[in-house]
Amino acid sequence: MGILSNFSIAQTYYELSGTVVDENNEPLTGATVLLLPVKKAAITDANGVFSIKDLTKGKYTIELSFVGYNTLIDTIVLEENKKYKFQLDVSSLSLQEVVVTDNYSETRKNEVSLNIEIVNDDYLKQNLGGSLMSSLDRLPGVSTIDIGSGQSKPVIRGLGFNRVVVVENNIKHEAQQWGDDHGLEIDQYAVNNIEVIKGPASLMYGSDAIGGVIDMKNKNIPAENSYGGTIDLTGKTNNDFWGSSVSLYGREKWFFADIRATLLDYGDYKVPTDSVDIYSYRAALYKNHLRNTAGKEQNLHFSFGIIQNRFQSQFHFSNINSKNGFFANAHGLEPRNVDVNLHDKSNRDIQYPYQNVNHFKIINSSFYRRDKLKLEFDLGYQRNFRQEWSQYVQHGYMPATFPDNLFFNPDLERQFDKQVYSANVKSYYQLSSRIQLNLGINSEFQDNQIDGRGFIIPAYKQLVLGGFVFAKHNFSDKSLIQAGIRYDYGNINIKEYFDWFPSPIVETGDTIMQYLQRAAKIKRNFSNFTWSIGYNYNPEKWSYKFNIGKSFRMPIAKELAANGVNYHHFSYEVGNADLSPEISYQFDVGIEYSSSKFAIGTTPFLNYFSNYIYLNPSSEHDRLYGNGNQVFYYTQSQVFRYGTELHAHYKLFKSLQIGIIGEYVYSEQLSGAKEGFTLPFSPPPSAIFNIKYKKPKTKFVENAYLSIDYRITAPQNNIVPPEEPTDGYQVVNLGVGGDIVYKKQKVNISMQVQNLFNTKYFNHTSYYRLINVPESGRNFILNISIPFSGKIKQKVN
Amino acid sequence: MKTYKIIIPVLLSIFFYSCEKNIDKEKPSIDLSIQDAFPVNCDTLYFGEPFNFIALFTDNVELGSYSIDIHNNFDHHSHSTEVIECSLDPIKTPVNPFLFIEDYDIPAGLSAYQTDTSITIPLGDETGNFDEGDYHFFISLTDKEGWSTQKGLSVKILRR
Repeated sequence: MGILSNFSIAQTYYELSGTVVDENNEPLTGATVLLLPVKKAAITDANGVFSIKDLTKGKYTIELSFVGYNTLIDTIVLEENKKYKFQLDVSSLSLQEVVVTDNYSETRKNEVSLNIEIVNDDYLKQNLGGSLMSSLDRLPGVSTIDIGSGQSKPVIRGLGFNRVVVVENNIKHEAQQWGDDHGLEIDQYAVNNIEVIKGPASLMYGSDAIGGVIDMKNKNIPAENSYGGTIDLTGKTNNDFWGSSVSLYGREKWFFADIRATLLDYGDYKVPTDSVDIYSYRAALYKNHLRNTAGKEQNLHFSFGIIQNRFQSQFHFSNINSKNGFFANAHGLEPRNVDVNLHDKSNRDIQYPYQNVNHFKIINSSFYRRDKLKLEFDLGYQRNFRQEWSQYVQHGYMPATFPDNLFFNPDLERQFDKQVYSANVKSYYQLSSRIQLNLGINSEFQDNQIDGRGFIIPAYKQLVLGGFVFAKHNFSDKSLIQAGIRYDYGNINIKEYFDWFPSPIVETGDTIMQYLQRAAKIKRNFSNFTWSIGYNYNPEKWSYKFNIGKSFRMPIAKELAANGVNYHHFSYEVGNADLSPEISYQFDVGIEYSSSKFAIGTTPFLNYFSNYIYLNPSSEHDRLYGNGNQVFYYTQSQVFRYGTELHAHYKLFKSLQIGIIGEYVYSEQLSGAKEGFTLPFSPPPSAIFNIKYKKPKTKFVENAYLSIDYRITAPQNNIVPPEEPTDGYQVVNLGVGGDIVYKKQKVNISMQVQNLFNTKYFNHTSYYRLINVPESGRNFILNISIPFSGKIKQKVN
Repeated sequence: MKTYKIIIPVLLSIFFYSCEKNIDKEKPSIDLSIQDAFPVNCDTLYFGEPFNFIALFTDNVELGSYSIDIHNNFDHHSHSTEVIECSLDPIKTPVNPFLFIEDYDIPAGLSAYQTDTSITIPLGDETGNFDEGDYHFFISLTDKEGWSTQKGLSVKILRR
């Protein structure tokens, strides 16, 4: 680090200014400069320059942070206007450690009173799973609901689906989150930084953030007059997966652009069993392959923007397209016989049943900054188009042979076409040296259309508007209080739906054929007032956090108006048009001790829902609408939950560290038909014991690491119909890698062996658990990442 | 405040409330091994003739309801839950297949119930006679708590 200083005229108030550069002396744009104890902050502009005015004479601590770089902390004495130059080193730390030790994350964590986890792309490479969410599964308090090898949904402390908000580039990701048979439409190679908020965050993120938030950002803005890119290659043995992602970026002075293409292709995945018992039916597997779970994905991203001193604006275009098969034996109204000659011919082909998902997004993210004010504008358009295809099979009162006068393909089981328009405005204002005021408005409009032969959710239009005020007050440089309130308004207009085929209705002894009305026209308005208050205290090596808040969630169209058969669970699901918005109160605590050798932390929480929306399996069957299936009704009940995460690590030697991560959550319904029962998909208690060996530099390899994870998961006997108790299990995963350096070229290699001993085990929160499909067998994963960069030559003036 | 009034008693109650409460975690069962059980896997039913569905349902607490669904298996889409595989006729396209869906109540308070449900399969409908061949006889049973069990049988329905 180099410091240059200049003298100038003395005055009562002084200015501190400077430049922040990277290891190559290139200016770093967007680095955070924090001055303590006054808590004045600045962000470096396009030229890496910052300035903080109105400072009194005295001693200050300056903290400079930038994602991917080591945070620099220094003490400065201000007696006149000063100008500094700061150089940041590239961080060799990665969040692969048991405990997130990145300084950027630490700073951020100390400023937020909810418990958060932050990961960067190094972590993602080293823990690469079948999908983005399964790569995050290792984080304490985060689990997934998996469907096959390439699809998973985030679960935070046991809550998932519409109770977790996923945000990409400041815009809420909207798809058919309610569905349990498809994953997140997000390219895992394109994500650079992920922040996971554990706990209700409705205040800033609105309805749905009742369980937590996964907030991800794509690539950072490159340095001036530079270009570069990365080539990523990934292979996995279990499902013969190969993937490749190539990105290119460049920036002149104020214009920058970035392009990425990703291709993935995988075969049926292998499970350590010869047959699976689907309810009472046994289906034999060919060569341990879970029949027809192959898939492929093609993604494209393009972004560009301008960067000025006070203003920055960026456009992101992306299109995610995937096609993947469903386990062929367990789809439809009953477990199915399959044509094994057709399905087992190749483990790479995708036969019926399968789904196609296309997610298109345009986002514009801009901000304007002036003195104490920062204004952010985010606009988004998304179109999620999803189709489920399967061979036409008559069920219920559908005609045995498909009539030829209908407007859809008989094999189109379901189609959802959802368009979403979002607009957010946020402002940050530094009211005084100790108080920061934030104001924001979020709005979103959804238009959902449906098609296909089966009905589960109706077509609808939905509008949501919300506004919040949020203030942060630093009592001292160690303690911080933050409080906020929010008001939301939403309305939903559900379109009526009639069957395309008649069913026999028995009325006063006569049977008449009638087109059944599945969904009535429903109009509902919702409004809600939420709040949150938190306190942080960070003396020396300790950190304490307390937060209490109210969150809410509007009922979704499926909960209000579902009326059809679920093809995966052989159940008939019925919505309830009178549901009220879910209300949740949560108390969160975070206590952490951290020194250079040893760290330990725990994050307990208590949570109460006054009216959790729950799909209750009843004792009834239904002939007419439900094709003779068991009826599941949406109802509301009081729910009480508590739990905690725990992490600790200890540095035995400079290069050897041991650690543990544990998580526990307990849920219980306090009222309603399932009083005393837990909630569906409750994750069992689990712990990961980890040993990690690191070597920052050898002759050819930098940042070499070897990591062993020993995962112990307890049995889950706390179940609710139609679940089965799940046995506990123990799994060992290995990770090894580093950067191979040859001359100036670096090649990053990350290898993993997941399920080293090919253990047969069941994951209670897997979607295929209900049909007794074990988790993947042994899997070797290799990821090679080749970054390259250079400078754009400037014209000599 | 209302919130605290709720949270504090709830908090206290966790400590006194044991996790293992008396909740029902057992599924009901369908027993087709009793004497006179009908139909069983690979049995034959006849169009125009009534038959009695006889099965023994049991549950550890209380039974809920059941349903019967009879639909064609001309495309061999479904296999039975039973160990023995029945011989199936060649695959064919349905012309006028027979379809039967019905849900039935079980009297309240029973933990064991033997059905004796009379079912008539008509010869045909207004479009003509029903197709003979392989059918699938699907039984679904629930208990009061919402646990369920299914059984699928392969049967033939023929004309005598």
